[in-house]
Amino acid sequence: MLRLETVSVQYGPVRAVRDLDLAAGAGALIALLGPNGAGKTSTIAAISGLVPATGRIMLAGEDISRLPVEDRIKRGIAVAPEGRRIFANLTVAENLRMGAALRRDATGVRQDTDRYLSLFPVLGERINQHAGTLSGGEQQMLAIARAMMSRPKVLLLDEPSLGLAPLIVARIFDFIGQLKAEGLTVILVEQNAAQAMRFADQVCVLASGRVSYRGSPADLAGADVMKLYLGDAGM
Amino acid sequence: MEYLIQQLLNALAFGAEYALIALGLAVVFSIMGLVNFAHGEVIAGAAYAVLLFAGLGFGAPLLVIGLAIAAAIIMSVALERVAFRPVRNAPVTTGLLTAFGVSIVLQNLFQLLVSPRPQAFPALNGLNVTWHLGPWAISSLQVMELAAALLAMLALSAFLGRSLLGIAMRAASRDFSTVRLMGIKANRVVAAAFVISGALAGIACVFILARRGGVTPDMGFSLVLKAFVACVIGGFGSLFGAAAGGMLLGFIEVGLLVLLPQEMGGLKDALTYVIVTMILIYRPEGLFGTRRDLGDKEF
Amino acid sequence: MKQDLDTAPAGAVAAPLPWWGRALAGGALAALPVIVIGLIVLMVAPGWVQNLTAMALINLMIVVGLQIYSGNSGIVHLGHSAFVGLGAYGMAILTTPLVMKKLSIPNAPFGLAGVELHWLPGAALALLVVGVIAWISARVIARLSGIAATIVSLAFLMVIHSVFLHWPALFKGNQGFFGIPKLIGLPELLLAACAVILIARLFRESPGGLQLRASAQDQKAADAIGIDSRALRRHAWILSALVCGLAGILFAVFSGTISPRLFFFQQVMLTLAMLILGGMASVSGAVAGAVILSLVLELIRNIESGVTIGGVTTPALLGLSGVALGMVIVLCMALRPQGLLGHREADDFLEKWRVSRTPGRNDRRDENATR
Repeated sequence: MLRLETVSVQYGPVRAVRDLDLAAGAGALIALLGPNGAGKTSTIAAISGLVPATGRIMLAGEDISRLPVEDRIKRGIAVAPEGRRIFANLTVAENLRMGAALRRDATGVRQDTDRYLSLFPVLGERINQHAGTLSGGEQQMLAIARAMMSRPKVLLLDEPSLGLAPLIVARIFDFIGQLKAEGLTVILVEQNAAQAMRFADQVCVLASGRVSYRGSPADLAGADVMKLYLGDAGM
Repeated sequence: MEYLIQQLLNALAFGAEYALIALGLAVVFSIMGLVNFAHGEVIAGAAYAVLLFAGLGFGAPLLVIGLAIAAAIIMSVALERVAFRPVRNAPVTTGLLTAFGVSIVLQNLFQLLVSPRPQAFPALNGLNVTWHLGPWAISSLQVMELAAALLAMLALSAFLGRSLLGIAMRAASRDFSTVRLMGIKANRVVAAAFVISGALAGIACVFILARRGGVTPDMGFSLVLKAFVACVIGGFGSLFGAAAGGMLLGFIEVGLLVLLPQEMGGLKDALTYVIVTMILIYRPEGLFGTRRDLGDKEF
Repeated sequence: MKQDLDTAPAGAVAAPLPWWGRALAGGALAALPVIVIGLIVLMVAPGWVQNLTAMALINLMIVVGLQIYSGNSGIVHLGHSAFVGLGAYGMAILTTPLVMKKLSIPNAPFGLAGVELHWLPGAALALLVVGVIAWISARVIARLSGIAATIVSLAFLMVIHSVFLHWPALFKGNQGFFGIPKLIGLPELLLAACAVILIARLFRESPGGLQLRASAQDQKAADAIGIDSRALRRHAWILSALVCGLAGILFAVFSGTISPRLFFFQQVMLTLAMLILGGMASVSGAVAGAVILSLVLELIRNIESGVTIGGVTTPALLGLSGVALGMVIVLCMALRPQGLLGHREADDFLEKWRVSRTPGRNDRRDENATR
């Protein structure tokens, strides 16, 4: 579904991502792990097109690496960005409507809205509240629901667990698992390795912009690699 | 009593005019952080455009109104394409200076291509008649101006509140890049802002023409400066603040005209700015602004 | 950073100077072309060229004055011409002979119609007035930052202009204020321009100037290390006003006649365009912009008033110079927002050139270039 070939991101003299290859089939979940500054968020930004990157990015067989952000979204990429970035001055309902901005099927949009509101009843209760008044966990739920409103083929999730209580994190990851089970391709950036590995098909550990380890979660958990690349905090 | 009501209406009409222009500035600023000094020249440009059309025989008042609004929208959007797009992601100061430069270029172009002298435009004089309501004599122009400003604001708030593009514009005023992540084209949002800004300028242009009966090359600048001051009092970047600041400015001006002795009437503008500055000493962020809106909005 | 004089490699790089030494040396370097052009004009050029050069020098002083505030604080200042006007009118009111005053402002308030000062106390008092008004306005402006400050500075210009126009008893309103003693010519202006360049450089390199530039780059970081950016903005505003006021005073005693419209938008946009073209962040940029644009504008003005080529006279093109000035600003912003010289002073260029000629030091990165 999504394939990255020798993708690099450069900010001035700094190379944030170096020659990254990645391939995710339909329904696959790839977890990008690694310390701060390893290039995880830059990878996400390169796929969505928010930062210029070299190399090739293929979505469902089409080269999207030269397309502007908006056209990549149109072709089926959705992002739940780092720091959630919900529109604080819009209501929950308006946030969801923004997520479905490109869709013209009003009935489908309504069905999807109802679906996510029933999955996250707390959002339903606050439907006409400004999103800025939601708690961190609620904002994260909204960010993912908003991304899903566009019915994407690939979801890019950047640190959904950041700053949230463990119980909420578990719920959000249950939801991610459910989306994957429905056939969604997910690229997940996470510091919380334990949660990330629950549903991951493949784990990529990045360090200084390069893949320093790649394998199945089982291999990673078994090996000392975990400690090697992530330190004790990874657990 | 009659005098008071007359002055109240004066204040409301002036305030409505400032509010219209200030809103045009605030719409663009809130979305892309551009301090559009050239907004006044959009108004003046629309006035010259209808002057030209009137010279060609299209001088019916309704037609003039439509032409003024259309011309202002076209000019506003054209300026964005030509002058402001290259500096879209630049710091606020760069955009501000660009707009200042554009404003100077346009003012001098009007001088060069038309004339440095005022041009009379009597076609809209018919809008300004005196209505006798019981004991009161009321200027039709002022009532229409107030009504038009209110209608424009209602339409704007309906658009921003209900339409997808309007919601996207509000979202973009806080976080432009995430709006792009929703698949909405940045150019569309920016163009929408300039269309709205242009339309508001066009409406303001009609009333200014009707009241003054003419146009000068530097007409826009003093207007836009007042509108900026309205934005600063209201809180830069807040649409509500811009409208309220415009209204307040109208009341301050008319209040000063009433209170000042005749021979000091010329100092009205000076005193207005002094009062506004006083307000800013106590509320540097403006009356309705938050701290965030005030400083340099870097992207 | 600081090296002992004895251990500095002889001839490799300039011996490290204290900030004021660097400022004076750099300022002298920036003033050098001005002095050279000025002296040539003084020796060989006809009277009308001398007059034009004198006007250009006054504009140069205003541009440098503007640079002191805008260049260091990063805030666009559109009201500096108000201070030029205040200086000029202060000088005019204080030093014009009583005979002339009977004609121009016989009813001046505060008994000013009966005051005729010698030029030195007159100039000092006029500067004092500028300073007091600058001090008051600084208290307001320094509270604001960014766009709000810019707009209030413009409002300040409108206030002062409106007072000039509508207080005819003191300022003679719309008409020209004439009869000011003509005391100076090109040599004095040349001297003053050099002094002003040095002052601006001294402020830029002073600890306060450095702190102000730092806080313009990153307000939060500056706050965190305890820089009082408000006070610094205030100081820069006042010094900038004094320099502009001085330019106004000199203008008054150079031309002998002043009127309010001289200190209005026309001048604001002219001097602003000069500063932007040269580069706001450096004094050398201000000087370069003033010199270049003065020359170019003179050409354009000739075209504007109609040129005769082979017996055919082109029509007068009023507004052409304004269009050109506006285009300078717009094009600079689109193509080179930092101006021709960017953030470098003339001595930085000299230093860079010297470093690049010294083998083994080619890899030294120019800290001014990365931004």
